Amino acid sequence: MMMEEFLILNIIFIPLIGALVLPLLARVSARLRNFCAFFFIAAPFIFSLKLIPLALAGKVIIFCKPLLFGFNFTLQADSLAVFMACVSSLVSTVIIFYSLGYISHYKNQNEYYSMVVLFLGAMMGLVFSANLIFLYLFWEITAITSWRLIGFFRQESDVFKADKSFLVTVFGALLMLLGFIMLAQQAKSFDLPIIKLALTNTPVSNTALFLILAGILSKSATLPFQTWLPDAGVAPSPVTALLHAAVLVKIGVYVFARLFGATLVLPQVLHLWVPVIAVASAIVSAGAALIETNLKRIIAYSTISQIGFIFFGLAVGNETAITGALLYILMHGIAKAGLFLCAGIVEQNAKTKDITQLGGLIKTMPVTALAFLACAFSVMGIPPFGGFFSKYLVFSGAIQSGQLWVTAAFFVGAILTILYLFRVFNMVFLGELKVSTAKEGSFTMVSSVALLGFLSLISGILVWYPLFFARFSALEMLGFVR
Amino acid sequence: MNTNNIFLPIIIPLIGALCALVSFKKLRFLLESSAFVIAAVNLILAVILFKENISLNIPWVLGLEFSLRLYHFSAFILLSVAGFGFLVTLYSLRFLRGKEYANQFYGYLFLTLSLANGAVLANNLILMLFFWEGLLLTLFGMIAIGNKNAFQTATKAFIIVGISDLALMLGIALTAYLAGTARISNIHLPLDTLGSIAFILMAIGAISKAGSMPFHSWIPDAALDAPLPFMALLPASLEKLLGIYLLARITLDMFILTTHSAMSTLLMAIGAITIILAVMMALIQKDYKRLLSYHAISQVGYMILGIGTAVPVGIVGGLFHMVNNALYKSCLFLTGGAVEKQAGTTSLEKLGGLGRNMPVTFICYLITAAAISGVPPFNGFFSKELIYDGALERGKIFYLAAIVGSFLTAASFLKLGHAAFLGKRSEENKNIREVPLSMLIPMIVIAATCVIFGVFNALPIKYLIQPVLGEGLLEGHNFSGFPTNMFLVAVTVIVLIAAFLNHLFGVKKSGSGLHASDHIRNAPVLVKIYDLALKRFFDPYEWGLKFSRLLADISWAVDRSIDWIYDKFSVNLTYSLSRQISALQSGNYSLYVVWSLVGAMLVFVLFFIK
Repeated sequence: MMMEEFLILNIIFIPLIGALVLPLLARVSARLRNFCAFFFIAAPFIFSLKLIPLALAGKVIIFCKPLLFGFNFTLQADSLAVFMACVSSLVSTVIIFYSLGYISHYKNQNEYYSMVVLFLGAMMGLVFSANLIFLYLFWEITAITSWRLIGFFRQESDVFKADKSFLVTVFGALLMLLGFIMLAQQAKSFDLPIIKLALTNTPVSNTALFLILAGILSKSATLPFQTWLPDAGVAPSPVTALLHAAVLVKIGVYVFARLFGATLVLPQVLHLWVPVIAVASAIVSAGAALIETNLKRIIAYSTISQIGFIFFGLAVGNETAITGALLYILMHGIAKAGLFLCAGIVEQNAKTKDITQLGGLIKTMPVTALAFLACAFSVMGIPPFGGFFSKYLVFSGAIQSGQLWVTAAFFVGAILTILYLFRVFNMVFLGELKVSTAKEGSFTMVSSVALLGFLSLISGILVWYPLFFARFSALEMLGFVR
Repeated sequence: MNTNNIFLPIIIPLIGALCALVSFKKLRFLLESSAFVIAAVNLILAVILFKENISLNIPWVLGLEFSLRLYHFSAFILLSVAGFGFLVTLYSLRFLRGKEYANQFYGYLFLTLSLANGAVLANNLILMLFFWEGLLLTLFGMIAIGNKNAFQTATKAFIIVGISDLALMLGIALTAYLAGTARISNIHLPLDTLGSIAFILMAIGAISKAGSMPFHSWIPDAALDAPLPFMALLPASLEKLLGIYLLARITLDMFILTTHSAMSTLLMAIGAITIILAVMMALIQKDYKRLLSYHAISQVGYMILGIGTAVPVGIVGGLFHMVNNALYKSCLFLTGGAVEKQAGTTSLEKLGGLGRNMPVTFICYLITAAAISGVPPFNGFFSKELIYDGALERGKIFYLAAIVGSFLTAASFLKLGHAAFLGKRSEENKNIREVPLSMLIPMIVIAATCVIFGVFNALPIKYLIQPVLGEGLLEGHNFSGFPTNMFLVAVTVIVLIAAFLNHLFGVKKSGSGLHASDHIRNAPVLVKIYDLALKRFFDPYEWGLKFSRLLADISWAVDRSIDWIYDKFSVNLTYSLSRQISALQSGNYSLYVVWSLVGAMLVFVLFFIK
């Protein structure tokens, strides 16, 4: 077997199998389990990084193991997949490191670590899958693990909200499966490379497109499927960071890029309608973030809003906009994970998530406050933070494609972003100190958020490297490379 | 000269900023001396680079490129920025001594210099935007370190400037798309429909940075909350330089702005409105710094009006006014700081008669107040005459606005000077002394420059400003020397005399310098408008917040109603359907037989009769 294929299989199966091994390791010692959990997530990150040179050489690695009924286990590592794998495993690595501190106060840690590692494995599998059935399979594994993780604290209302998010996303996923089957009927295969060849010049039926879009939108919590995401804020904070910020919600975005960018030519009907849905989603959730008073729900609304920008960039579909959207996935992943993890520190130490009861925390937790501010600036798109470039490129690409009205509406969304983030920051960290007992979090937690804040800054200053990668992926998607 | 030297104005202050931010609070001497050295090196560098022409392009992708260009215009702004940076640093050494936030202040100050230098040197729109928007961070930081509630003002400033920077971002994206390049020196766009939109968006960024209406309302608030050297550096000088620099670039190079175009009229209207409204507010202020801050807004109006005329005399006037305003306005703020430092307050109610205690400060005030009021032979007189000339050429109404603005400016400075430096001196103010030398030097230098730029106005006009327009636009004119239009001069003199008589009238009527403008404040219609204005009724920021709140309420309703569909509607629907179906399973045998028969018939009909 070739070295690269071995790497990809490792990226997927180390966490998938590792998740099952973790409870056994816990019998030996909890420390060993924690260390291994970290390793099972860090290893895919390291291996993903090792794939970058290959991806940037324009080389696409395809691994195929034929199975019955056309359900071939096909993996494909093009630069888009490698980019996504790097982003999600990078953020996951930081989050699992943070978890070591955060989760140590709670029961059921075996379940926690197993589920998180399993989740990442499924994510990696999804990213590299080039077969619609396996894509769906991994997609549903993420749904199940996130259902367990959201209901982790086991209060009745938590379980109810976990059920809600599970039902909404699975409902969407089933619609998507129908769409996949229709697509496969037309192309006579579930394998993406074959679909790509078969459907280059034939239009796909609109029904199939909208069914698939429904699945994508429900997973990425976009209007009208958005409300499970704020509700899922009852989960432990690192989980919210993992699910809402970095990884889970990006699945929908990624599959959109994979299907409607890298495989099919962006269908005209999506080019016209997705920006409208995205802008409605961006504005509605940004507006809701201005009203909401629960810290984690605000950040969740912010995620919905920012996902709108990413969809917008992908749906605009030219080189600049797609580059911007991919860069957005990275910048938003880092910054939003940072915001959620800061919220976790605040919530754990101040014992409340209600921002009206918080204030002045910059005095007692300065590092967290600065990290929060740095991540918030990145989400707002203020240079020299990374979010600036992604926002500019999305706007610039949209203007190039002539969608001026939608761009103007997104401008409103961008303004609201500044407003709600400042509202949160001011109410939580500035002003009068209301919860005087609150102190800075543990070393692992504070260093994680500081790292994410620093990454937000450095990814803007050294934007050349991620930008080059993102642009290369965009060009490959549009078929300019190869 | 080595091309890489063009990086130095960006890098050296950046290093200074990093040093200041990490420095220990205990090592005060080290912090102060290194701040002084960095500011001085930055100034020397700007002087050395002044006559150079350097351009540097490192190409990138997607319109991004690292492109810098040093030529006469950017070198001129660079020099001004460095000059003010140095003087304000010198002044701050004593002013900030003992303040806890001193190291943060110097850190932000040098970061500001670095970013400002970058924005001025950038020859690529996106690179410029990078530096330009980066200034938001230092703006926020510098205001937020002020007094206890300063963070609210900082937020307000950030939001206002941030929104206009977003507009600038859109404008830049549109401009780069229309022009097919983002390299500034290659862009020359006509003002067609899309071009006009791009122009307006970029102009929003420019005039908002300069502090024009309707993007002004954070400045008076910052005057009270932020540390004073911030006011002298940013709203008074540096932001004006940057904003007007960009406005000049877009009107002169990037877009083809012709006289009688709608855009030109729009700019002039904004300028005229800003002049009048802001100075009206300045007139009734009862705080030294807040009064000055309204003039910082009002004076931008003159610059925008001058540049908006799109005729050479107006543009030269607007740019000259930019330099002049930066000079006298920063000096005025510095005198305000001197008063604050020595008297402990800037409230005009508690001041009075300080002219005897602080003679040098008073003289500096006199010179710069005369300059801002347009008294000959100080610099403000000459730039205003040029602007009047341009405004009159484009329409009497604009000229009228400018001249009324001058009257009110003079009136409010007579009031301010009278209330602070003349009049009765209270017992506790008897022992106030003059400020130390390191604070006096910046004031004296700037006041002297005001005189020099007035008497020898050929110096700035010929060597700094006219090259910006280029020979093509100047058509051989030379705008230095004494104004040629004697009618305008006569009107100006009459207006100044009228302002003085008005002041005497007000003093006589109210009995004190502080209340010298009360008869205008309490004039029949004005009194109502003033009352509303003092309640922030006209603050665009408040309106914007109200609007966003409305939008948020609507969004919240939409979000909650969608949530209701998931949480209540779908659940209830499922339950009620299930209940009805389960009601059918009643256990009644005969009913089941009927159902089965009906079902069998349906199957038969569907599958066999076709």
